[in-house]
Order: sequence, then C-alpha cells, then structure tokens
Amino acid sequence: MADIKLAFIVQRLPYKSENPKLAATHAMAYQTVEILLEDGQTITPALCYIGEGVLNCVKDQKAMDIYGITSTEMHFKSCLLVDMDVYVCKDDLEKFGISEDRIADAEDMGADKKVQIVPFEAIQKVMNTANHLLFF
Amino acid sequence: MKLAVFVSDYKITVDTLDRLSAEKMGIIFVGNGVYHASIKENGKPSFLFDKSAHFYALKEDLETRGVDPSGIDSRVKAVTYGDVVDLIMNDYEKLAWL
Repeated sequence: MADIKLAFIVQRLPYKSENPKLAATHAMAYQTVEILLEDGQTITPALCYIGEGVLNCVKDQKAMDIYGITSTEMHFKSCLLVDMDVYVCKDDLEKFGISEDRIADAEDMGADKKVQIVPFEAIQKVMNTANHLLFF
Repeated sequence: MKLAVFVSDYKITVDTLDRLSAEKMGIIFVGNGVYHASIKENGKPSFLFDKSAHFYALKEDLETRGVDPSGIDSRVKAVTYGDVVDLIMNDYEKLAWL
C-alpha cells in the first residue's frame, strides 16, 4: 500500500491570522487519520516554512504570557515532538537577517527530532516528492 | 494636524501612508507591523523609515513574536499599551489604522 506524502507550506506571518497554526495542527492530525486509511496505507507529512512564514519559527514567543493564547512556537515544537519533518528555509532566514540560533527547537520538550534549516532547493525537493501540497 | 498612524501589517500593499502628511506624525507599529522595527529584509531597514515621523512599536507585540524590544531599530521606541494610550490622549489629535 502506498505512503501518501503531504507537504504543508507555511508562507504567512504569525498571529495576524490562524493560518500558520492551522498548518501545524492539520499536519499533526496525520496521527489521527489511521481509521480512515486502508491496511498498509500511511501518511507522511512535512511542514515547511518559507518566505515570511519563517518568522513563525522564532523562539521565545510570549503569546501565552501576554495574550493568553498558545504561541505559534508551541505548534511548531509540537510537530517536532511527534517526529514530523520540519523544514525552515535558510535563504529566507538570511533575507530577514535572522540567525539560526533564534529558531526554536523542541529539545526542552524531549523531542528527538530537530528542525532542519535548509536551502530552498531542499524544500523544493520535498514539494516535488509530495503527493499533495497544502499552502497556508 | 497631529496624526498617529497604526501600522499593523508587515507588507503594505497600498501607498496610503506615503500620501499622508502631517505637521507631526507618529507611526505606531502594532501586530505584525512590529516587523518593520525588528527585521531588515535583504539588509535594508523598512521603507517606512523614509517618512519624517516619530516611530513606536508595541512592546507586547514584539515579545509575542519572540523579538527582544531592546534589539529593535534605534529610531523606534518600544512602548507599552499604557504608553500608547498616553500618546493618543496627549500627543496626537487624530488616528489612522492601516
């Protein structure tokens, strides 16, 4: 049975809309759709942040402290915690002058998975191999 | 006229702000507008700094986005909600939200 690859591409800024958070929650939902799949069929999601979307990945977001809402950072980290492949476009980080050490990881939550900061070409490859692209 | 303009988006696709002029203008970055104060796209500061204005950025919105208020563009003053209320009540006669 086939493995269906889904690429969730986040290109929008955080907080103005729920879009970037929805990308993460939709991607995480892959774990709950097993009942809808046929035997042997699997879903493999990948979450990719490009363009202004990379600003979702900056660590130390204080949304919960200030506005009482879950931060985009927490959604991002939760995806790592469930061993999802999470890619952040290195080119766009450089474009916005954001150093790689400002990108969140989920080590504090016990995640083994690391965020992958990669050139756009690598994200393009993820998109090429995906069965479906979902833009947020 | 003393005009305070709230900028709540990073990409501004309309040139309204370019057309606005005032004897005294304040530009207050809120929401995703705070990225104007905190990032330099391709090494260049936001084009909004070409305006002759006083610049402010809402501290709460900077911190929400993981931005340290002490590291923003030196032309911008980080302000709290309380400070914004003071600006509205004491420093500017009119307000615009872009």
